[in-house]
Amino acid sequence: MDKLELTEWHVANAGMIKALIAGSFISIACGIIGCFIVLRRMSFLADAVAHAMLAGVVASYLILRAIFGFQANSIIILLGALFAGLITVTLIGFVTKVSRIKEDAAIGIMYTGIFALGGFFASIKSFSEYIDVDLVGFIAGSVVATSLTDLWMLAIICCLIFAVVIMLYRQLLLTSFDPVMAASIGIPVLAIDYLLTACTSLVVVCGVNIVGVILVVALLITPAATAYLLFDRLHRMIIASAAFGLIGFWSGYFVSMWTGNAPGPSVVVMSTFYFMITLFCAPRYGMIADWLRKRNQVPQELIEDIMGFIIKHGDQVEILDIVGQVSLPGFSARSALQRLEKDGLVKMTGTMVALTPQGQRTAKKLQRAHRLWESYLESTGMSADQVHQTAHVLEHVNDEEAVDYLDHKLGHPLTDPHGAEIPEDFIHIESGEIHLSLLRQGDMAIIEDPGPAGTTMGIQKGMHVEVGPRSDGNHWTALVVETGKNLVLSHSEADKIIVKKR
Amino acid sequence: MSHSDNAIDVEHLTVSYGPVPALLDISFSVQPGQLVGIIGPNGSGKSTLIKSLLGFVKPDFGAIRLFGKNADQVKGSIAYVPQRGAVDWDFPVTVQDVALMGRYSKTPWYRDLSPTDRELADDALEMVRMSEFKNRQIGQLSGGQQQRVFMARAIAQGGDLLLLDEPFSGVDAATERAILDVLRKSRESGKTTLVVHHDLSTAAEYFDQLILLKQRLFGFGPPEAILQPELLSEVYEGTLRVFANLSSKKEPSPANKDRLPGDSNG
Repeated sequence: MDKLELTEWHVANAGMIKALIAGSFISIACGIIGCFIVLRRMSFLADAVAHAMLAGVVASYLILRAIFGFQANSIIILLGALFAGLITVTLIGFVTKVSRIKEDAAIGIMYTGIFALGGFFASIKSFSEYIDVDLVGFIAGSVVATSLTDLWMLAIICCLIFAVVIMLYRQLLLTSFDPVMAASIGIPVLAIDYLLTACTSLVVVCGVNIVGVILVVALLITPAATAYLLFDRLHRMIIASAAFGLIGFWSGYFVSMWTGNAPGPSVVVMSTFYFMITLFCAPRYGMIADWLRKRNQVPQELIEDIMGFIIKHGDQVEILDIVGQVSLPGFSARSALQRLEKDGLVKMTGTMVALTPQGQRTAKKLQRAHRLWESYLESTGMSADQVHQTAHVLEHVNDEEAVDYLDHKLGHPLTDPHGAEIPEDFIHIESGEIHLSLLRQGDMAIIEDPGPAGTTMGIQKGMHVEVGPRSDGNHWTALVVETGKNLVLSHSEADKIIVKKR
Repeated sequence: MSHSDNAIDVEHLTVSYGPVPALLDISFSVQPGQLVGIIGPNGSGKSTLIKSLLGFVKPDFGAIRLFGKNADQVKGSIAYVPQRGAVDWDFPVTVQDVALMGRYSKTPWYRDLSPTDRELADDALEMVRMSEFKNRQIGQLSGGQQQRVFMARAIAQGGDLLLLDEPFSGVDAATERAILDVLRKSRESGKTTLVVHHDLSTAAEYFDQLILLKQRLFGFGPPEAILQPELLSEVYEGTLRVFANLSSKKEPSPANKDRLPGDSNG
């Protein structure tokens, strides 16, 4: 292309170039401010400002014509629109404050009311010669009709937004995140709120030029929401949001040139398209990531069932037996086993699975919980065939304190209703000083604190005892090695003697 | 003025959000270096009291003086830990970002945060053992860790007055210890701390003084004086039979006696 051709190309495509520059300015400004709108949940407010604009535009035409007798230019119209937007925001605040009407309803009333007021005057026949509002353009957007003055105005607004967000970044961040603290360190929270509302009005008024009143909210919200799904720090979110706004606009604009329709809808369609892709594919907050996370998560219940199965059936179990007999709808026992191996609870060799020492402990704890629950359920009078089923559900309630409570209440039983041995309370026993009542036949222990009951029976700290069998079910017997005396203790007496197992 | 030695002077504080006052005629003074618990049933104005002290809620009547000055003269020297439910945990900020907020009050708007600010924020995170989670988004933490991040923010701010809104609710025992540790350390360094607290069974153990609130001030003083069955049942309307023997169980420990207001010369 030589120079002349280039100039000709410029002339021929002046409209498109201006539209692209204008659109870039607007979408960047909207993307930046949109982040704060999303985080402060103010999107409805942006919608309200957009609609109120019509009244402002119409009013500036009429007032200028009636009072000064000249045609309004775009800067005056911008100011009028801004003014109307701020009045709407103030009115919404006023209605919320003086009445029981909540904010969402107040917004609904005021923005439609003021929009209608604008529409009312714009459509009165005798006024229509003064008013040069392109209602269709206003509603659907008219970026193609951008003038040079508009471009300058947009550039200035864009710079203004940049300046505000960069200079007051910390203030904006803190008032959005924690207004109470912001107030306590002297940040003028209300002034920052108004500043943000003013910025919102500015970008909304500009955004209407591209996509029109109805879609302008999308220009603010969609890129910001897309960025919100991707980034965990505000400044990154803002940069990404501006970028998504820009990409959305350019791709939408070229799609509209290719299909020959109005640019407004295609810009919003493209932005929404990017949002949907992000919603599905975002690495952390996306739906696919979420689904994968859920799928990889093996429920505790299944893990516990598998461990219970292994310890019940001896040291080594066929993998196929587990897969065949332990199941939970929607989850595979095989991936649960892999998870267990990764956590170091089981060891798989060939077709067999065995518990590691750590796995043994966990499994014993579970078995203890299960068998104590069975004993407890039986003691409440539940029929034997129900006991196992219910205990199977309740064994997953195996918080240590809960299990200790059951154990104590049942008098530290040795066997469950089916006669199977309940594993001893090894966690407490290993931790050192325990009640004598936790010990079983054959255990050796040293007295740490005989308590009043023990003292009257003649035992002292440092003596050795060998625990004997329980007599009539709920009495502990113990042989004092030093004196050769045999003790018979009730549950409460055995509870009061503190010992250390040897 | 004699009472300008106090950390907090509240006189006849009255705040309302409508016909029913949230706080009515509250007067009390707290000496520097005290760890004070604010107790009272739900909706009794505990958070409102905190917010008034922070200057976020404007009183209808009454005066608040902090360290002998008007509240707006000491802005920035009050650190605040919000209630967990009041925080947007999805907000795009990391643990480090939150700790850095503690330094905002010391930085004028036209200046950037300095490397010293970053160090102080890091130190604060170290103190609550959250350094390894520095780059995590705050929603990706456990409840206890979240609480500790806000503690770090308060430490980084380094104010003379620390206000905490229910820091112990919904946290695990380890975090409860950690928070208590921080509170006691800041008391040793002479800071004054007010804590909204809901668990009466630990109130005597944790605090030097208690404020019993239900719109009005029902009691202010050492825990033994406040945790009286008659007083509590008046405020909690008899829903608290469990705590009836609380005051007899919690004899003031010698350590506690040392901190009684009469002993410390103000």
